[in-house]
Amino acid sequence: MSDAVFQVGVKAFINLMNIMGLETFIQVIVNGLLMGGIYALISAGLTLIYGVMYVFNFAHGEFLMMGMFLAYWGYILFDISPFLALPGVFTLIFLFGALIQAGLIHPVLKTKPLRQILLLLGVSTLLTGLASFFFGTEPRTLDFPLLYKNLGTGFLVLNLPRTVAFGASIFIALALFFFLKYSKAGKAIRACSQSRDAARLMGINVRRVYSLTFGLGVGITAIAGTLLATFYPITPTVGETFAITAFAVVALGTMGNFIGALIGGLIIGVAEALGGFYISAVTQGVVAMSIFILILLFKPEGLFTKKNI
Amino acid sequence: MSTSRKATTPSLPLKKARNWLVDLLTDWVKTQFVFSLLILLIAAAIPIFVRSPYYLGIVVLTLIYALVGISWNIVAGIAGQFLIGHIFFFGIGAFATMSLLNAYYLSPWLGIPAGVLISIVVGIGVAYLASRYGLKLDYFALFTIALVVVAAILLSQIDFLGGTSGLYILFQGNSVRAMTFVQKEPYLYIALFLTIGAVVAQYRLFNSRMGRYFMAMREDEDAAAALGVNISQYKMFAVAIAAGLAGLGGGLWAVYVTFIDSFGVFNLAFDVELCLVGPIIGGLGTLLGPLIGSVINKPAVELIRGAAGSLHTGLREIFYGGFLILFMLFLPEGITGLLYKPYRTLRKWLQNRYQDED
Repeated sequence: MSDAVFQVGVKAFINLMNIMGLETFIQVIVNGLLMGGIYALISAGLTLIYGVMYVFNFAHGEFLMMGMFLAYWGYILFDISPFLALPGVFTLIFLFGALIQAGLIHPVLKTKPLRQILLLLGVSTLLTGLASFFFGTEPRTLDFPLLYKNLGTGFLVLNLPRTVAFGASIFIALALFFFLKYSKAGKAIRACSQSRDAARLMGINVRRVYSLTFGLGVGITAIAGTLLATFYPITPTVGETFAITAFAVVALGTMGNFIGALIGGLIIGVAEALGGFYISAVTQGVVAMSIFILILLFKPEGLFTKKNI
Repeated sequence: MSTSRKATTPSLPLKKARNWLVDLLTDWVKTQFVFSLLILLIAAAIPIFVRSPYYLGIVVLTLIYALVGISWNIVAGIAGQFLIGHIFFFGIGAFATMSLLNAYYLSPWLGIPAGVLISIVVGIGVAYLASRYGLKLDYFALFTIALVVVAAILLSQIDFLGGTSGLYILFQGNSVRAMTFVQKEPYLYIALFLTIGAVVAQYRLFNSRMGRYFMAMREDEDAAAALGVNISQYKMFAVAIAAGLAGLGGGLWAVYVTFIDSFGVFNLAFDVELCLVGPIIGGLGTLLGPLIGSVINKPAVELIRGAAGSLHTGLREIFYGGFLILFMLFLPEGITGLLYKPYRTLRKWLQNRYQDED
């Protein structure tokens, strides 16, 4: 009996999907997931920094932008493929981030939170300004031979750079997860996130851990930028859009929850793709923000309720 | 007993005047107020000496920046709310004024107050949602930033509000009804009048019960609540006052620049330039701060632009970003905070010399 009901249900679902266009539906979902991978990686960096330092990195998008420009200039000037440039970009931005943490953020870490927010807004404005000063504001695209290649035919088409970016994002996010879980430095980071004072009493150099955390957080964001640069136009203000999406992701997946950021990134990616396709292209920009506002209002603690680095 | 040399006793009315002046100058808030009025007096006198519309235009914008700076100072500096996306309320005022003018030919003299009213209502709504759902600190900051971004996208989709092409005022020569003038002087005096109003309001706030509640809330919300401050109500007051003043500035600005578009107004870089930089340079949470800040902020950038012919792309952001970083790192009290030390010496000297007599 129940089996028969189940069969009818499945048939009804398949019919419905055929009416709506199952193939299109799946294609849209997959496209959303591919973009969501990038969001997940950006947000993982943001949530890591917040979870450990309790500093909301308002300059996060600008590190993404720097990653994109590094990939661009590496390709234009030295003919280095963006994928090969990944370790170099990560190292550079890691060091830059650690420097910013040590020089700018650490001195204001124990002062009023408004001072930290405004300082980071200043960093964000300054970096955007420097980029538009040196590179101009017109969008640049990386004329990458892979750009228009697709995987698969007919049923499901996967844009190659997006797919590679998705795979790499997920791989790096997972690598970071295991680094935090099992390495000594990762354990120190998690200890600081649980209790700064207790960590200090156990002999952990908190200042160094904070530099490591900030460097890691912005470093993986720069990796996301490099991957993004293979298929997305590069402008000095590109960071703002992605940063705000990342804020939404982090709020959705609970601020300071690493796995939450990954899942939240995929959810926002899919929601944006669905909204953009089935409602209108304009809604694509509004979807993430609407989720963001709703989450902030009705469930500000996010889906996972507890921070967990 | 002070050992300092006493001043020779002057005649009675002179002594009264002197005592009044000494009383004034030994009160930091009053001193700042007097300085603010002096700055505005200078602004009022500028048209007598300067005829160039270019420089007068800079003065008009400086006054509008001061007005908006004061509004942000009230909510962020005095009441300690992280309303980063303050441009949201400024934009509401600007768009309300312009769309009412365009659609119903409603004179800005009524359109600007209508915009202020809408800003206040929206501000109360925002503050209500924030306190109803317990949004604090970073979360509130993010919430207001999200509002700005959503507003930019949504407004670009509504034709009534200009859509993607923006809203214009058709310039009609000197017309009081449409608030368009060939000369800059009328704009200057309207802006001056409103800025004086804002400065006086801010001064009154400093010495009022509400202002003290705001400051208590800024220093420690829980402690203030424990002492009987109705936090959600006073947050609402703070946001509503600031939203109204920002809406006022927005309406005036829209009429003055005669063209607005949603992505140009609801823009976080513009937010930093207009709302945040002035009070931060001048001194967040002080009376004089936003005024001094905007006097430095706007003319400095404009004069550099005038001298260099045109400002290279990005240079403006570099200035603002650099200012934010430097002031937050080394001078969080701003220029007013810097002035406080010499002022304290002066006050000590005044007190020693004149106030020991009583």
